Amino acid sequence: MKYKYVGQPYNRPDAISKVTGKAVYLDDVRLPDMLHTAVLRPQYAHALILSVDTSVAEKCPGVVKVVTGKDCKFRYGDNIKDLQPMAVTKVRYIGDPVAAVIADTAAHARAALDKIKVEYKPLPVYTDARDAMANDAALIHEDMDDYWRLPTLKQASGTNIANTYHLVKGRGEEGFDEADVIIEQEFNYPLGSCAAIEPHGTIVWFKEDRTIEVWSTTICPFIIREDLAHSYDVPVSDVRVHTPDLGGCFGYKSDVTTEQTIAWIASFVPGRPVKWVGTREEDFTSTLLAHGIRTKMKMGAKKDGTLVAIKSTIYHTGGAYADTAVNVTIASTHNSTGPYEYKHCDLTGYTVYTNTPAVGAYRGYGHQESQIASERMMDLMARKLGMNPLEFRKKNFLSEGKVNAVGETMWKHNGDLLECANRVEKMVFGKPKPAEDEQYVYGRAMVTVMKSPKGAPFSTKGCYMKMNIDGSVNINMGGAEVGQGLRTVIKQVAAEALMIPPEQIRIYTEIDTQYSPYEWQTIGSMFTTQGGRAIIRAAEKLIAQLKNTAAQVLKTDLDYLEYDGEFVYLRNDPTIRVAVPDLARGYITSDGITIGELAQSVSDARLPRYSNPDKNGQGSIGVTYTMGAQGVDLKIEKKSGKVIIDHYYSVFDVGQVINPLQIRGSVLGGVMMSIGAALTEEVVFDKEGRITNPHLFKYHIPTYKEAPVQTIEFVETPDPIGPFGARGIGEHSVIGAAPAILNAIYDAIGVDLFEIPVTPDKVKAALEARKELK
Amino acid sequence: MAERMTLTINGKEQTVDYEPEMMLLDVLREVLNLTGTKHGCDNSTCGTCTVVMDGKATKSCNTPAAKAAGTSIVTVEGLAKGMELHPIQKAISESGAVQCGFCTPGIVMELYGLLETNPDASEVEMTNALNKHLCRCTGYEPIRDGALIAQKMIKETRK
Repeated sequence: MKYKYVGQPYNRPDAISKVTGKAVYLDDVRLPDMLHTAVLRPQYAHALILSVDTSVAEKCPGVVKVVTGKDCKFRYGDNIKDLQPMAVTKVRYIGDPVAAVIADTAAHARAALDKIKVEYKPLPVYTDARDAMANDAALIHEDMDDYWRLPTLKQASGTNIANTYHLVKGRGEEGFDEADVIIEQEFNYPLGSCAAIEPHGTIVWFKEDRTIEVWSTTICPFIIREDLAHSYDVPVSDVRVHTPDLGGCFGYKSDVTTEQTIAWIASFVPGRPVKWVGTREEDFTSTLLAHGIRTKMKMGAKKDGTLVAIKSTIYHTGGAYADTAVNVTIASTHNSTGPYEYKHCDLTGYTVYTNTPAVGAYRGYGHQESQIASERMMDLMARKLGMNPLEFRKKNFLSEGKVNAVGETMWKHNGDLLECANRVEKMVFGKPKPAEDEQYVYGRAMVTVMKSPKGAPFSTKGCYMKMNIDGSVNINMGGAEVGQGLRTVIKQVAAEALMIPPEQIRIYTEIDTQYSPYEWQTIGSMFTTQGGRAIIRAAEKLIAQLKNTAAQVLKTDLDYLEYDGEFVYLRNDPTIRVAVPDLARGYITSDGITIGELAQSVSDARLPRYSNPDKNGQGSIGVTYTMGAQGVDLKIEKKSGKVIIDHYYSVFDVGQVINPLQIRGSVLGGVMMSIGAALTEEVVFDKEGRITNPHLFKYHIPTYKEAPVQTIEFVETPDPIGPFGARGIGEHSVIGAAPAILNAIYDAIGVDLFEIPVTPDKVKAALEARKELK
Repeated sequence: MAERMTLTINGKEQTVDYEPEMMLLDVLREVLNLTGTKHGCDNSTCGTCTVVMDGKATKSCNTPAAKAAGTSIVTVEGLAKGMELHPIQKAISESGAVQCGFCTPGIVMELYGLLETNPDASEVEMTNALNKHLCRCTGYEPIRDGALIAQKMIKETRK
């Protein structure tokens, strides 16, 4: 389908404020009489707090107040209320807030931190789910059974298991009796960081009129508003949360992260705004981490290559508080099948408390963490069956009529995975592979992947649309712009729906819960799909209003009228018409008497019939899927063991490209992040639970020189939910890199690796193993 | 503020008071309220704090404030002339190089430091300059595109 504005490379409206340095990010917000705070982090990752002495710190220059967690009575959390704004009796990870200094400047606040004296009694430390699950492990949350949790979640009392999710399809594990070949293997996708270039920051202001005003690096201002209102017992309407420009998110600025801690601190100096901006170290140690997922997978197939049964066990190092990890575990578990049909599934996910920072969302939300297993297993099984790995995949694709693990039937409109795979196959294997030379050995591979949104049933996105007297339109939504370019998407979808040029449409900039329509949170690659539908609904309502007014002006029945963006006109005689701008605030007749209503509308949209999982762990919990194929050409430097990505390929069926410039940018960036995860990125802990690399010069994210050439294409099988056929694509590009790279390393040197990052030393060891094999 | 120095910021000579432990970045952001220059890490790794000091791209987060005395500093606020963007800003804003935009001021200033003095910079020089900057959004390709367009535009204006 050809559209006028959808599918064109419009430039983003915020590009100019960002190149001129005028975009206002959290740290650029300055408020009257503002104070600054710095937070004390513990020396131990798991310890009882015996005493806190703040007396010396209180006398330091510029210090206004020193705050501790003493007397904090409430817990918070969206899924499990296991969080506290500041440690009260014990610390559970190395970034847990212990105390804070409020001072006139950030430098004064930081300088006084050292003067706070804390006595601890250290406790055993667990940095891996497997250790924390041991029978004799000390409990990280002794009172876990008392915490409020969503009714769908279930803790294992007397253990560190915060939740167990279990899915059964068909006969579950018994289904393996139908398999001719069974393989089993464990994989690891270790803890990482989203590492946006902008660190987290928050400003909270308890005002004298008993309202609370907040600015934060958050993509969920509405959740923060509800959460703070609940904790401080004020109406939700009395909490106002602003999201300024955001310097990247990639997941870890979703959910409530630092806001409750800064609110607790600010509540001690009512009347004055208190600002906190994390250091890079705190961004690693004290906000959300990513991944931390071990997947044990058992796969059964028939001799002809038909998959019959899968058993996955996900061990999730969830961190000291499981509120934000629990849904990552669930998504990782039921999506561990990858884009293949199994008659029988037995999938279990354990979210486990550990003495590490809480894990939260990271672009991909659990999918890459378990699909590293499924995509490696597909290659291992193909090898065992003596089949071409791609032919084996194709035989088992979740294509039209197949049923996925959660019990949803797949339709043609879920996308043409076969076409994606065929294209990538041609890109990767349609050329000769370079032969091993003095310096390098070459490998290549491809994988197929899928992702569901993983939202919540009530998740919705609101839209306010108003037309002005010149026919221009303002659109206000609650979607957080983190870099993905959603304002451009809004503009293009609205232009298409309203049949007016995008230049006539102005999109909101800041989100402010006082003015913005409700949005749950901007997550799960869902803004284009849900937000786009909301825009179309708002546009339809607005056009209906224009027609209503025009029917009175033109003295005719509503259903005889047509709208084309410029005029509302009589279908049988288009010369009888009224210009759209003349209808925008009602129609002013020649004697001044005005008829009709203001052209403005309100709408929202959520996924159709999205549900909670049932007792089998199944349900309408995906609703929309984006599938695709990715491939890699790489070389290994024999001397160093360094893996160099020469070329990376991605083809996804996105339904409809809204903006070719932006969608390419999104995939380019996602691929780069996931190559970082596969090759270099890991948050490393020592035995005491301290992070040994909490800096960007130690936690290596990919640089300019490491960027491979990328070929990116899109298949367009229209989706019936998203606007003009578009479906989500924000996260999908990160899923394939780890298994594709590991499969390509096998192709290069014949050694199977099962965990990332594949650092040079690990590859060097593999090269040695290869020599032994020879 | 215990110390005082005079320096030129975006073409205007100014006398500023600052604390001895401050870095140039703190002077720009906290004393002069020039918030276009960003703070991304704490140890000159990410590059978003880059300004041009006496013609050279310099990371301001680890440049002690005192070192800036008597120098001429250009920040991202100093490039556009009224409504007219500098060619680097124009190219970077149109090539897809901007997503979240947090690394952008540093990249713009890195290119300004390079191309103002050396409009014929080679690809290797360009790569070495841009390799000092971390971007988490774009995968770098659109940044390279923008840098090349900017170079072309600058060369054309100098013909």
